[in-house]
Amino acid sequence: MKEGVMTRFRNWIPMPGSVGIFTGTIMFISLVLAGLIIPNFGPFKANDFVGEPFASMSAKHPFGLDQLGRDVMTRTFAGVPIDLGVAFLGVSIPFIIGTIVGIFLGLAKNRYFINLVGSIIDGVNAFPLLVLAIAMISFFGTGLQSVIIILSITNWARYARIARTRAIVVSQQNYIEAAKTLGYPRWRTIRKHIVPNVSSETIAYALSDFILVIMVVSGLSFLGLAATPPLAEWGSMIAEGRSYLSQAWWITIFPGAALCWAAVSLSFIVEGLSRRDGGM
Amino acid sequence: MSTQQLVKIDSLKIDVRITRSLRLAIVDTASFDVSKGQILGMIGESGSGKTMLCRSLVGTLERRGAYIASGTLEFEGTSLIGISQDQWRDIRGKKIGYIPQSALAGPNPVMTIGAQLGEAIRQDRDFPKGKIRERALELLDIVQIRRPEVVLKQYPNALSGGMKQRVMIACAIAQNPKLIVADEPTTGLDVTVQAEIMKILLDIRKNFHTSIILVSHDLPLINDICDDIVVMHAGSTVEKLPSSEITRSKHPYTRALYNSRIDLVEPKGKLVTINGQPPTVGKWPLGCKFSERCDFVVEACRTPQVIPLFEISPNHSSACLRYDEIGI
Amino acid sequence: MLNRKGFVNIIKSEFLSRVLGRLIRSIAVAFWVMVIAFTLMRLAPGDPALARLGPGAEPEAIELLQKQLRLDVNPLQQFWGYFVELLQGSLGDSLQTSTPVLSLIGQTLPVTIYLILLSTFFALLLSIPIGTAIAWSGRSPLVYGFRTITAMLLAIPNFFLALVGMLFFSVKHNWAPVFGYNTSFPENLRYLWLPVLVNTIIMTSVISRVVFSSIVETKREEFVETGIIRGVGKSRFFWFYILKPSLAPTVVLLSYMMGTMLGATVILETIFSLPGIGRELVTAVLVRDYPVVQGIVLVFGAITVFLSFMGDLVAYYLDRRVKI
Repeated sequence: MKEGVMTRFRNWIPMPGSVGIFTGTIMFISLVLAGLIIPNFGPFKANDFVGEPFASMSAKHPFGLDQLGRDVMTRTFAGVPIDLGVAFLGVSIPFIIGTIVGIFLGLAKNRYFINLVGSIIDGVNAFPLLVLAIAMISFFGTGLQSVIIILSITNWARYARIARTRAIVVSQQNYIEAAKTLGYPRWRTIRKHIVPNVSSETIAYALSDFILVIMVVSGLSFLGLAATPPLAEWGSMIAEGRSYLSQAWWITIFPGAALCWAAVSLSFIVEGLSRRDGGM
Repeated sequence: MSTQQLVKIDSLKIDVRITRSLRLAIVDTASFDVSKGQILGMIGESGSGKTMLCRSLVGTLERRGAYIASGTLEFEGTSLIGISQDQWRDIRGKKIGYIPQSALAGPNPVMTIGAQLGEAIRQDRDFPKGKIRERALELLDIVQIRRPEVVLKQYPNALSGGMKQRVMIACAIAQNPKLIVADEPTTGLDVTVQAEIMKILLDIRKNFHTSIILVSHDLPLINDICDDIVVMHAGSTVEKLPSSEITRSKHPYTRALYNSRIDLVEPKGKLVTINGQPPTVGKWPLGCKFSERCDFVVEACRTPQVIPLFEISPNHSSACLRYDEIGI
Repeated sequence: MLNRKGFVNIIKSEFLSRVLGRLIRSIAVAFWVMVIAFTLMRLAPGDPALARLGPGAEPEAIELLQKQLRLDVNPLQQFWGYFVELLQGSLGDSLQTSTPVLSLIGQTLPVTIYLILLSTFFALLLSIPIGTAIAWSGRSPLVYGFRTITAMLLAIPNFFLALVGMLFFSVKHNWAPVFGYNTSFPENLRYLWLPVLVNTIIMTSVISRVVFSSIVETKREEFVETGIIRGVGKSRFFWFYILKPSLAPTVVLLSYMMGTMLGATVILETIFSLPGIGRELVTAVLVRDYPVVQGIVLVFGAITVFLSFMGDLVAYYLDRRVKI
């Protein structure tokens, strides 16, 4: 019995990419947990003034204190729900809009309609996301709310492009034609075959887009265009600490490290998934 | 034997390195010869080792992590086992030509046809530069490509599948090789195109006395074109026979292949198939590897052994324990 | 007609006809780019003029601004006015400084382009050898390490990398100035090297990955084996059988990347106080200088469309398999 278990264990070859997915997931989940626990149950609150400004790292304040005497550690983890939450909205809304539009476009028959909407999508995609977001802030005003709205208006086009290409490919597959011959109602084919197939591709993109949007949100806040002090958001914290880089580098570095941690953990997951699918 | 065989393969075993410690046999025992000017057909299902055998003749096993484990592989009397890549340079492309599977897209897509033919011609370093274009046109003519001057300037994406294969043949014969290895050259092409290409190969043999090893899974094709046939199953040579004797085959597998030909089927008749699938590499049964699928099997077939090729006549051998009982 | 010359002309024109088709598509996209740049201002709820001047402003001032921004007429007329002005080569004037937007762009764009070109040059110089070498060797620890390291480098936000670089190079050791710029060469290198380094690191990570996966795919192709059998010389083999067939995805990616880089440099310019078009955009946004914002966005879009067109063209020229 013991031998059986041991041989099974030794012969178990993990699928390629599992290491990445596993590591990334653990990293991400631990960040999220820390973000939920520390700001709510920790000794300090994110916006309280708890000590001398610019105090260095100590046992009581492992990440030190910032320029107003607030605990950097608490603030850093308080940023988790903000950054990740806003980014999540900035991905899921475009994902839904874009996938629907893309499928619709991919299955459309009218040539003029396809070319028209297609070139609009290309037009929107022509602008670098960050630039477009920055520009639109000038019209919508600063703030995280604006960012979410702006992302919903602009980011969907990238999903639509992917969804459309995929929808066209899938709709030309033999099994779709088979379903049609078998008399399946069109709606059913779309729901059961096309939507899942297309969504799998857009979901994969959504994961890497999540990383991008986190960067955009924190980048915009860094420029002072989105989250503003005293909100504990990574980008704006990094910007705040910038002037004190030489004396109190921890004000900038720790929120930055949290940002990197989030992005790196997600990219490990993306890497692992792509290795699982493609090998090498 | 007064004339030496061009190619001599005996009990050849080819292994492939999966991981540092795991090796699998892809070809278990292959034995056949090729003589000058002979067209030899090699037939078998996927996994029979046909492609690996082809690669062993052009020295590209290394690339795939495969190597010759044991046996004999000789060309013009010299062994090809363990020779260096430098030594291969004198043989492949010059004395042994190679035509890849048509399905795998053939010529280099980022070079013009002319450039690729030029490469094939210039394998002979002493070939006069001025005469290259002339020779290229000549080669395209041999493979019956119309308007060769135009084709020289085109990229492969502008050519049809049949034309691309003809270009591959042209490159293969550029150095007048003694042997051409053609690995499923017409698989996936139209039947008419297939016939044209086969005719070109036959003409090449007739005019240049080139030997050809023609690999395919299409038995009627092999039967029509080839002088002799080698049947491979799960990495072993199970029968060698002249194509004229195909109806008098002495191996159950060959018989089954012959009987399952689609052109034999009457309208509304039943399709004859061979039971089961070829055993997968690494899970070959000990004993006769066809035993699981054989209609003719007896207990003795399953006992662990290497079944040798029994010589029935000088040109006909079969690796079946019951060879003398077949066809009676 | 179908003699040799005629046939050759037909082949040549196949290339041209593909190019023409692509050009037309690009122009269509460019048109939408223009429309979008125009629409942006009118998308937001509320009145842009009011937003700029603030709630305490006088009604006459607001009306004046509205007139200046063409907000007093109906949308179609607005667009027409905008379009006509564009055809005359003008992007309007800055609300802050009254200088023509076009000249503002003309002053700041070169700096940004310089930054990007330098970064791209060095990135290519590094990526192609690295990506090719690792793909060609194929040894799994190397591949694994390469993919992990590049993935991590890409996950680090560029502004953070820049700040870390600044912390180290400018603050701790005085090897790079904290801000400033000099327009003449080679003095400006002193101000540029750190931002270029940051950009190069990021670009190299992306490009080398694409080169890597491209070469891995090419290696598997049958024609590579045919090239080996044909006994092609080493350097020729390397170029025609390995590199060239792998270049198309790299070129297409590169043209897409340059567009994205334009966006990313916005932040870098802000951090390093470089007088580029990105920083100009941010300052304009902060004061709601609408014509400047609109003009810069239009330029960004146009550049991206142009780069994408050129990228596809070069890719098709190199590798006929590319779909244009």
